[in-house]
Amino acid sequence: MNAIIFSVIGGVVMMFTGIITQQKKAIRNVAIIALIILLLANIFDTYGILSIHIGTHGMLNFQKFGLYFNTLAYAATLLFILISGADVTQIGEGKHAAEFFALIFFSLSGIAIITSYNSLLLLFLGIEIMSIPLYILTGGDKRNLKSNEASLKYFLMGSFSTGILLMGIALMYGAHGGFEISAMKPSAVSNEYGILDPLGLVLVFIAIAFKVSAAPFHFWTPDVYDGSPSVFTSFMATIIKAAGFIAFIRLFDNKYVELGLSWRIILPLVIIATLLVGNITAIFQQSVKRMMAYSSIAQAGFMLFAVFAENDMAKEGILIYTVAYSVATIGIFAVLEKMEDISLAGYNGLAKKHPLLAATNTIFLLSLTGIPLTAGFFAKYYMLLSVIKYGGSTVTWLVIVAVIFAAISAYYYFRVIQAMYFKTGNPEVRSYNKGFCFMLVILAAITILIGIFPTIILNWFYF
Amino acid sequence: MSQLVYLVPLLPLAGFLINGLLRKSLSKQAVSIIGCGVILIAFLISLGLFFQVKANGPIIQTYFNFIDIKGLNIPFSFQVDALSVLFMLIITGVGFLIHVYSTSYMHEESTPHFARYFSFLNLFVFSMLLLVMGGNYLILFLGWEGVGLCSYLLIGYWFKNTDYNYAAKKAFIMNRIGDVGFLLGIFWLVAKLGTLTYGNVFAAAGNLSAVDVTGITILLFIGATGKSAQIPLYTWLPDAMAGPTPVSALIHAATMVTAGVYMIARSNILYSMSAVTENVIAIIGIATVLLAATIAIKQNDIKKVLAYSTVSQLGYMFLGLGVGAYNGAVFHVMTHAFFKALLFLGAGSVIHAMGNEQDIRKMGGLRKYMPVTHITFLLGCLAISGIPPFSGFFSKDEILAAAYAKNPVLWVLGVAGAALTAFYMFRLYATTFLGSFRGTHDQEHHLHESPAAITLPLIALAILSVIGGWIGIPAVMIPDANAFHHFLQPVITTEAIAEMPHATEWLLMVVSVAVAVIAILIALGKFTKRPELNEPQGLGGFLAHKWYIDELYDAVIVNPLNALAGFFKNIIEKSGIDGIVNGVGRFILYSSRQVRLVQSGQVGSYILFMVLAIIVLVLIWINDGYIYTYLSKIF
Repeated sequence: MNAIIFSVIGGVVMMFTGIITQQKKAIRNVAIIALIILLLANIFDTYGILSIHIGTHGMLNFQKFGLYFNTLAYAATLLFILISGADVTQIGEGKHAAEFFALIFFSLSGIAIITSYNSLLLLFLGIEIMSIPLYILTGGDKRNLKSNEASLKYFLMGSFSTGILLMGIALMYGAHGGFEISAMKPSAVSNEYGILDPLGLVLVFIAIAFKVSAAPFHFWTPDVYDGSPSVFTSFMATIIKAAGFIAFIRLFDNKYVELGLSWRIILPLVIIATLLVGNITAIFQQSVKRMMAYSSIAQAGFMLFAVFAENDMAKEGILIYTVAYSVATIGIFAVLEKMEDISLAGYNGLAKKHPLLAATNTIFLLSLTGIPLTAGFFAKYYMLLSVIKYGGSTVTWLVIVAVIFAAISAYYYFRVIQAMYFKTGNPEVRSYNKGFCFMLVILAAITILIGIFPTIILNWFYF
Repeated sequence: MSQLVYLVPLLPLAGFLINGLLRKSLSKQAVSIIGCGVILIAFLISLGLFFQVKANGPIIQTYFNFIDIKGLNIPFSFQVDALSVLFMLIITGVGFLIHVYSTSYMHEESTPHFARYFSFLNLFVFSMLLLVMGGNYLILFLGWEGVGLCSYLLIGYWFKNTDYNYAAKKAFIMNRIGDVGFLLGIFWLVAKLGTLTYGNVFAAAGNLSAVDVTGITILLFIGATGKSAQIPLYTWLPDAMAGPTPVSALIHAATMVTAGVYMIARSNILYSMSAVTENVIAIIGIATVLLAATIAIKQNDIKKVLAYSTVSQLGYMFLGLGVGAYNGAVFHVMTHAFFKALLFLGAGSVIHAMGNEQDIRKMGGLRKYMPVTHITFLLGCLAISGIPPFSGFFSKDEILAAAYAKNPVLWVLGVAGAALTAFYMFRLYATTFLGSFRGTHDQEHHLHESPAAITLPLIALAILSVIGGWIGIPAVMIPDANAFHHFLQPVITTEAIAEMPHATEWLLMVVSVAVAVIAILIALGKFTKRPELNEPQGLGGFLAHKWYIDELYDAVIVNPLNALAGFFKNIIEKSGIDGIVNGVGRFILYSSRQVRLVQSGQVGSYILFMVLAIIVLVLIWINDGYIYTYLSKIF
C-alpha cells in the first residue's frame, strides 16, 4: 500500500510547493526527490522491508507482480522526469509547473490502484484517478487551441468509455452479486442471469481496450497524442498505457480459464485490427509525433499478446516490453521535444549537426522495430513465445501476421533514421545541456543492456 | 605423443593469426622465423607421430561434439593413422622446405605483403592438415574448403593484376563446381548411414545398396576432379600458375591437388565396392594423362609445362586408384610431391635469375650459370620420366603394372603417356639449360646461382627425389622390401591386384623404361641445338592452344550461363521480382492513404465506429460457440 500512500502524498506536496515557490528548478528537484522516495517506498513494500497496511476489506490485493510493475513504472517516470522534467516546467506560460507534477503523481496513484485491485469498483476508481489528471495534462498548454481540442476530445471519449466500464461492472455485479474478482466464478452464475456475466465482461474488456488504444477503440489516440504537449504524450504513451495492460492481466488472470472460445475469436481479431491500423496508418504520416502516436497503437497490438497468452511467460514478457517500449519512447520524445520542426523533414541531416541525438535516437528506433541487441527484440520475442507456448500450432498464423507487421513497422521507423543520416538538411534544434545528453546515453545504454541480458529485469522480479 | 596431435594443425593456425594480424608491425625476419618455425615444429611432431603410428597403430582423438542433433552426431576428431601421417609428413616436410625457399623468393615484396604471403601459406598448411587429419568426412570437407580458399588467395596474391584475379576466380569456381558433388555425396552418406565418421561409415558400408555406393563414390569423385584437376574440371590448374612459384610448388603440385587422391584412398573400402566407379576413375585418369601430356609438349611457359605435367601425373594417380592400386597411387603422391616440388622450385630459381622471365624460348644454356639448379632440375626430370633408380620409376611402375593386370590397353596408353612425359620434360630441360643463351644482354649479365635459402631446399628435395622411391621397391626385385605397402596395410585393406608372372612384370618394366629413354634421347637430340622458337602450326598449334578446351567451355557453358543470368537480371528480376516486391510496398502505401481517412477528427464519427465495434464484439462473444464451430470447419 506504500505506493498509493506515497504517491498521493507526493501529489499534495507538489501542490504546496507550487504555492511556496515559483522557481522551476526547485520544483523539478522536489518532484525528483518525491519520486525517488515513492520508488524506494514501493521497493521496500515489494520485499516486505517496510510496508504500511490499512484494511480495505479485500478490495485491494497486493501481489508481487503488481508491486514490481509499480517499481518499473515509477522508475520509468523517474527517467522521464530526469530527461524531460525541464520541458514540463516550460509548458503553458511556465506558471503551472508544480501543478503538472502534482497531476502526474495523482496519475501514478491511480496506477498503484490498478495494479492491485481486487474489486471491480477499485478498478473503476483506479482508471478514473489515472485518467482525469491526463485530461488536464493534455490541455496543459492553455493558450494552444490544438491542446484544448485534444483535451476536450480525450475527455468526451474517455467519458464514453467510462460509461461502458460502469455498465459492464454493473452487469457483472448483477450476475455475481459482488465486486470481488477473486470470488467470481462463471459456473456459479445461475442460468437465469447467464447472459449478464459474459456481456458485462465484454464491456469491461472494451473499456480497458479503449485505455490501451486497441483498435477499433483507438480513435482518440492520434488526435490526443498529437494535440497534447509532447512531454505529456510521452508520459501517456508509455507508463499509462502499460498500466492498462496490467489491469487486463489482473482481470483475466482469474477468469481466463472459463472464458472459453470467445477469447480465441475476439482477441485475435482485436490484435490484428490493432496491428493493422497502427502499422498501416503510421506509414503515411509526415509528422514524427503523429507517427509515434500510431506506433504506440501498433506496439499495443504486440502487448495484447500477453493478454491473449496469459501465462507466466506473458507476465515476464509484459514487464520486459514495458521497460523496452517505455525507455525507447521516452527517449524518442525527449529528442522530439528538442526539435523545432517535428515533421520528418525536420530531422533531415540531424546526424551531421547533432550526432549524439541522432545516434541515440537511432538506437531507440531500432528497439521499437525489434532489432536484435536492443531491448525491443526480446520484448517482441517474449510476446510471440508466450503465445506459441499457449496455443502451439493453432496460433502460428497469428505469430506470422505479427511478424509481417513488425517488418512493415521497420519502414516508418527507418524513415526517421534515413532522414537523420542519409538526407541533407539544416535541422533546427533547441538548446540542450550536458545533463540531457547524459540521460540520453543512459536510456540508450539501458536499451542495449536489456537487449543483451533481458533477464536482468526478471531476476529482480524473482528476487 | 598423441596428446600433441592437436598442435600439428594449431601451430600453422597460430602462425597465420600472428603474421596476418601483425603484418604491419613485424619485420621480415620475424615473419620468416614465425612462418617457417611453426611448420618445422609441426613437422617434428608429425615425425614423432609417424613412429608412434608405426609402432602402436592409429591414434583417434575426439575433442568435442561439432554437430549434435537428433539422428546425427559429428564429433570434432582427428584420426592419425598410416595414411594421414604420411600426408602430414609430406605437407609439413615439403611445406617447410617451400617456406624456407619463400623467404628468399618473396624477399622483394614490401613487408606487409610479405607477411600476408606467409600468413596465407600458414593458413593453407593448417587447412591441408585439417583435411588429412580429420576423423570424418565433415572435417575433411572443412579442410577441403579451406585449401580452396587459400588457393584462391594465393593465386590472386598479386591482386593488382586483373588476369591473376581472373585466374584466382576461375580456380575457385571450378573447385566449387566439384564441391557441389562432394557435398551431395556427404549428404547421401548422412541420409543412408547417419554418420560421417570414417570407422563407422566403412563398418556400415555393407548395408548400402549398389546404387547408393555408386552414387556416393561418383559424387565424391566429382569433388576430386575439381580439387585434383581431372577432366573435365582441370582447366583451372594451368591458370593457377599466376600465383608465386613456391605457391605453385606447394599447393598446385605437392599437396592440395593430391587431396582428391587422399580422399579416395581413404574411402578405398567404398570405392572397391563399385566396379562402375572404378572404371570411370580409370578412364578419366588415363584420358587426363594423355590430354595434359599432349598439351605440355607445345607449351613455352616454363610453369605452364610443369602445370600440365602435374595434371598429367595426377591422372596417373587416378588411374592407379581406378585399377585398385591404392598403394601405388599414394606412393605416387609422395614421390610426385618430391620431384614436382623440386621442379617447380627449380623453375622458380630460373625465373628469379632471369628477372621474372618465364618463356623458355628466351632462355637456354643456363647450365653454366646455375649449376646447382641445373643438376637438381635434371634429377627431377629423370625422376618424373620414370628412369630407375629414381623415385618416379617405382611409383609409376606400380601403377602401370596394376593397370596391365586390369586391362592391357590401359597399360599401353599409360606407357604412351610416360613417353610423352619424358619427351616434354626433356624438351623443357634442353631448351632451358642446354644450348646457348637466347635472352637479352642485360639478363645474361644478371644471371647468377640463387642464394642458399633457395638452393638448400632444392638439394634436399633432389635427394628425396632420388631415394624417395626406395621404400617401395616391388617384390619382384627384392622380396618383402616394400615397406610402403606394409605401412599402409591397416588403412588400405581392399587392394586386390591380380598376381602376374615375374617374367611379365620384368618385361613391362623394361618396355616402359626403354620407351622413356628413347623419348628422352629424341627430345635431347631435337631441342638441344634447335629449340622451337616459332609459333607452332597445324596439330602443334592445336596442342599449343590446349585443344581449345577453354574456348569450348566458354562457348558451351560460360556464355549461355551469362546469357541466362542476363535474362534473369533484366527480365525476371527487374519486371518480375521487383514488380512484386514494389507492388507490395505500393499496395501498403495505398492502403495507408485510405485507412488514414477514417481518422477524420470528428468525435461523433469516432463514437459511431466504436458503438458499431461494440455491437459486433458483443454478438461474437455471445455466439462464440457457433462461430468457433464454423471457423474450425473452414480451417
